[in-house]
Amino acid sequence: MDSDEALYARVKQGDLRAFDELYTRHAARVFGFLRAQVGTHADAEDVFHEAILATLESHEVEFDRGSFRTWLYRIARNIVLNRARSRGRGAQALVKLRTGDEPAPGAEETVARDEMLRALDGAVARLPATLSDVYHLRSSGLSYDEIATVLDIPLGTLKSRMNQMVNVLKEELKPWTTAR
Amino acid sequence: MDDCSVIQGNLVSYHFATASDDEREAVEKHLVGCTACLRTYLALKTHVDRGARERDHPSEEARQRLRAAVEARFRATPARRLRGWLVRPVPLYQGLAAAAVVLAAVALGPAIAGVLRPPPAAHAAQRVDTARPVAESMTIY
Repeated sequence: MDSDEALYARVKQGDLRAFDELYTRHAARVFGFLRAQVGTHADAEDVFHEAILATLESHEVEFDRGSFRTWLYRIARNIVLNRARSRGRGAQALVKLRTGDEPAPGAEETVARDEMLRALDGAVARLPATLSDVYHLRSSGLSYDEIATVLDIPLGTLKSRMNQMVNVLKEELKPWTTAR
Repeated sequence: MDDCSVIQGNLVSYHFATASDDEREAVEKHLVGCTACLRTYLALKTHVDRGARERDHPSEEARQRLRAAVEARFRATPARRLRGWLVRPVPLYQGLAAAAVVLAAVALGPAIAGVLRPPPAAHAAQRVDTARPVAESMTIY
């Protein structure tokens, strides 16, 4: 099986089958990541389109400084941030508040597993942008090293954010985990 | 055995590998003997790993639009194929082999040239000065 980097080189020579293979490998996860960062499905598709093309066209992509996947996430995230800045909302506004997913108040009875998962979704949606990035990149299967490269932060900072993120989620899920 | 609520409270940190060694060990021991918590953990893991990608995909239209853009941008032309061939990555062993050939040519070149050079002629032809007379030395009457 060809590596992502080999497929990338072939796409740049006009090989659309290589593009199809790269798309199959990464589209769903990258789109999932973007979908969590921007407000609507249509916006996510726009950013997705732009991110893939920018990654393919970029002259800055060097695979000794990160894998194809790392570059793709990094460029996608930068596009999201740039869009937010250009709209004057700031990076913090990237987090989509889905108030409809908030857990029902005062739930004392045992809750079903899918309710806990919905609560998890709600908690994730409320994470601040710095922690939300960590959650979604990790859920997309990126290693700690890759995530640190995408976010351009030291590994120690990443580990700290990972701990913060988990603690926030644990705290938010407490009503569901202690109700049993 | 730890209480289910304690274990379930640690499932997120266990999944993201931020749990302490003691917590991780407790979770693993508990999951072996508690089907309910094991199911909860598997559901949580599946849910997190799949994330939004299972629930939301780029549309087929978006895929086709992107594919067309890639095709337009990177259409395979002879010039692009040639450039791709020229800038293709070369394996290390091929580079080393090429360098060795160049070094050998540089080192052995003079010796080979000496062997191939024809021997000097026994009687060199007498040199004839064919230069034209210098104008300043001629007197015009």
